[in-house]
Amino acid sequence: MGYVLAIPLLPAAAFAVLAPLSRRLRNGAIAVSVGAVALSFLLSIVAFVATLPGGHEAEAAYHAFVPFAHVGDAVLGAGLLLDPISASMLLVVTLVSLCVQVYSIGYMHRDERIGWYYAVLSLFTAAMLTLVLSDNFLQLYAAWEVMGLCSYLLIGFWHEQEAPRKASLKAFLTTRVGDIGFAIGLLVMFNTAGTFDFATVLHGMEWAPQTATAIALLFLFGAMGKSAQFPLHVWLPDAMAGPTPASALIHAATMVAAGVYLVARALPIFEASGVALTVTLIVGSVTALAAGLLASVQHDIKKVLAYSTISQLGYMFVALGAGGLVAGMFHLVTHAFFKSLLFLGAGVIIHAAHTQDMREMGGLGKHLKVTTVTFTIGSLALAGVFPFSGFWSKDEILTVLLHEGHYVALAISLLAAFVTAYYVARLWFRVFIGPQQTSDLHEAHNEMLIPMGVLAAVTVVVGFASPAFAHFLGHEGEWPALGMALGSSAVAASGLLLGWFMYGRRTKVINTRAIKQRVDYVYGALVNKLYLDLTYEYFIVRPYQRHAAWLGRFDSNVIDGVVNGAGRSWRALAAVGWRFDASVVDGAVNGLGQLVKSAGGRVRRLQVGRVQTYQGLVVGVLVALMLWIVVKGV
Amino acid sequence: MSVGPLHFMALAAVLFSLGLYGVLSRKSTIMTLMCLELMANAVNINLVAFSHYRTPALMTGQMFAVFSMVVSAAEIGLGLALVLAIYRLRKTVELDAMQELKG
Repeated sequence: MGYVLAIPLLPAAAFAVLAPLSRRLRNGAIAVSVGAVALSFLLSIVAFVATLPGGHEAEAAYHAFVPFAHVGDAVLGAGLLLDPISASMLLVVTLVSLCVQVYSIGYMHRDERIGWYYAVLSLFTAAMLTLVLSDNFLQLYAAWEVMGLCSYLLIGFWHEQEAPRKASLKAFLTTRVGDIGFAIGLLVMFNTAGTFDFATVLHGMEWAPQTATAIALLFLFGAMGKSAQFPLHVWLPDAMAGPTPASALIHAATMVAAGVYLVARALPIFEASGVALTVTLIVGSVTALAAGLLASVQHDIKKVLAYSTISQLGYMFVALGAGGLVAGMFHLVTHAFFKSLLFLGAGVIIHAAHTQDMREMGGLGKHLKVTTVTFTIGSLALAGVFPFSGFWSKDEILTVLLHEGHYVALAISLLAAFVTAYYVARLWFRVFIGPQQTSDLHEAHNEMLIPMGVLAAVTVVVGFASPAFAHFLGHEGEWPALGMALGSSAVAASGLLLGWFMYGRRTKVINTRAIKQRVDYVYGALVNKLYLDLTYEYFIVRPYQRHAAWLGRFDSNVIDGVVNGAGRSWRALAAVGWRFDASVVDGAVNGLGQLVKSAGGRVRRLQVGRVQTYQGLVVGVLVALMLWIVVKGV
Repeated sequence: MSVGPLHFMALAAVLFSLGLYGVLSRKSTIMTLMCLELMANAVNINLVAFSHYRTPALMTGQMFAVFSMVVSAAEIGLGLALVLAIYRLRKTVELDAMQELKG
C-alpha cells in the first residue's frame, strides 16, 4: 500500500514544480496542479476502499514510519497512518480540493498570478493531506503550520490592496496565538509521555487527569485558533478578503476543520481529562450561537458564510465536547461539502453581481439557474432541512447531546439551528428573490458549474451515509430518532419562516429599520462584532504598537545613542591621540631637529674662517690652561 | 754681569711673544710666516740654552736646534710656495681674504 505516500506527495511535487515556474506556466500550471490533485483523489478512493469495512481507529489499515531523529530514548519521525478517520478525511480533502481547483480555472483565469495561486493551493493540499495522514502529533503540527502559511499567502493573494494585506496578517497572528497553546501542549505531552505517536499517546497509556487536562486544554486552544472558535474567531471573517475559491477550500471546508480533526484525534486525552470536554462543549456552544447571531446581521455575502462557518465549526466542537466523535466528524464531512458549495456559489454570484453586498443584489434567481439550484441545495443543507446532508449530521449532534444529558448545550444548539435557518433564509431571499438591481447578469462557465454540481450531488446523498459512516469509524450507527428529526426540522422550518417573513414576502415589506432601532443595543453589539475586534484593538494591538513604538524610541535613543556615543568617544579619543602625536611625538622629533639646527647655527659662528682667530683661540686656551696649572698646581 | 740661563729664557720668551703677536695681528701671509720663524727660533734658543746648561757634554739641544732649523727651512719653502700659488689665484696674500672655510 505504498501508494498512500503518493497521495500527499503528488500535490507537494506540483508545488515544487510550480513555485519556481509560476510566472512562466499559466495553463500549464493549471494542468499540473489539477492533474496532481485528481490523481491524489483517485488514490484516496483506492485507499478508502482498502480501509473498508472500517473499524475502530486503533486498528490502522496501513502504517509506515521513517525515523529521522533520536532524542534521548525517543524516536522522532514522519509516518503515514491510514485508518477510517484519515481515509474519510482524505476523500473529503481531495474531492473538495479537486472541485475548488477546477472551479478556479474559471474564477481566476484573468488573474496575472494564477500560476502562484495554483502553487499555493497545491502546497496547501499537500499539507492538509500530510496532516490527516500523520501518525504523530509532531508531524501533524508541522503540516498544521504549513497550512497556516498557505492560508496567509492566499488571504493576502491580492496584496496590492490594503484589506487583504491586513487580513492576512491578522489571520496569521491570531492563529499563531492558538498555535502557541498547541506547541506548549506538545511539549507537555513529550515531557510526560516521551513520544508523539498516536498509538502510544492515544491508546497505549493511562493519562493522569491533571496532565490530560493540561494537554487537552492547550490542544483545544490551538484548535480554537485554527478553527476560529470564540474568542479567537476574529480572523476568519476578515480572511474573506482572499480569492473566493481559496476561501471555499481553506476557510470553509478543510483548514479550519483541522482544529476539529485535532480534537477528534486527541479525544481519548480529552476523555481522560473530563474537564477539557466540558470546556470544549462550552466553547463550541458559545461559538455556535454567537457566530450564528453575527451572521444574521452581516451584509457581505462572504462574511455571512464566514460567520456561518464559525458557527458550524462550533457545532462540531459541541459534538466532540459531548464525546460524539462520529457526530463531530460526520458534521465536518457534510459541512465541508455544503459549505464549499455555498462559497463556490457565492463566487459565481459575486462575479455576476460585481458586488459582495447583499443589499445591492436581488433577483438573481431568474438568471443564474444552475447556481440557484446548487446554492439552494447548499442552503437547505446548512439550515438542516431533510434530506440534505446538514440535516443528518446536525441531528446526530443533537442526539448525542440528548443522550449524554447536556440539556443546556442542546437548547443552545437548537437556538443556533434556528438562527442558522434564519440567516440562510435571509441570505437566500436577498440574493435570489426581490427586485433585480444589476443588469447584465450572466451564468458562469461550465468549469465553474460542474464542480458545484458535483458538490451539490454529494450534499444530497452523503447524509444517507450517516449510519454507515458511524459503522465505518467503528461505532454503533443508527438513523436519527423520529422525535429528534421532527423537532429539529420544526426549528429549522420556523427559522426559515422568520427569514421569509422578514425578507421574502413580495406583498408586504417589513420595516427592518424599525426593528433594528427597537433592539438598538443588541443590534449594535452584533453589527460591531460583539466589540471583540475593538477590544483586541484597544487592549492588545494598540498597547503592542505603543510598546513597539516605545521600544523603537528606546532603540533609536538609547541603543543607537550608546553606539553613536561609543563612536563619538572613539573619535574624540582619536583626536586626543592625534594631538598628542602632532604635538608631543612630532614635537620631540622636530624639537630635536630644531635643537641640533640651532646648536649648529650657533657653533658655526665659531668657524669664522680666519686662521688668526683660531690661532688666538688656541693661544687663549693655552694661556688659560697654563694659568690653571700655575694657580692650582699640577 | 754674567749671562745666565734666565737671560736666554727671557730673550726666547720676548722673541716668542713678538712672533706670536705678529702671527695673530699681521695681515700679510708673508709677515705671518716670518713671525712663525721668529717663534721657531725662540724655541731653538731655548733648546741650545737648556742644552748648554743642563747637558753640555751631549750637545743634544744643539743637534735638535740644527734639525729644527732644517725643518723650518723646508717649511718656509713650502709655505712660500703655497703663498705664491694663492697669490696667483687671488692676486692677494691678505689673510682676511681667505675665508672659504667660514662656517
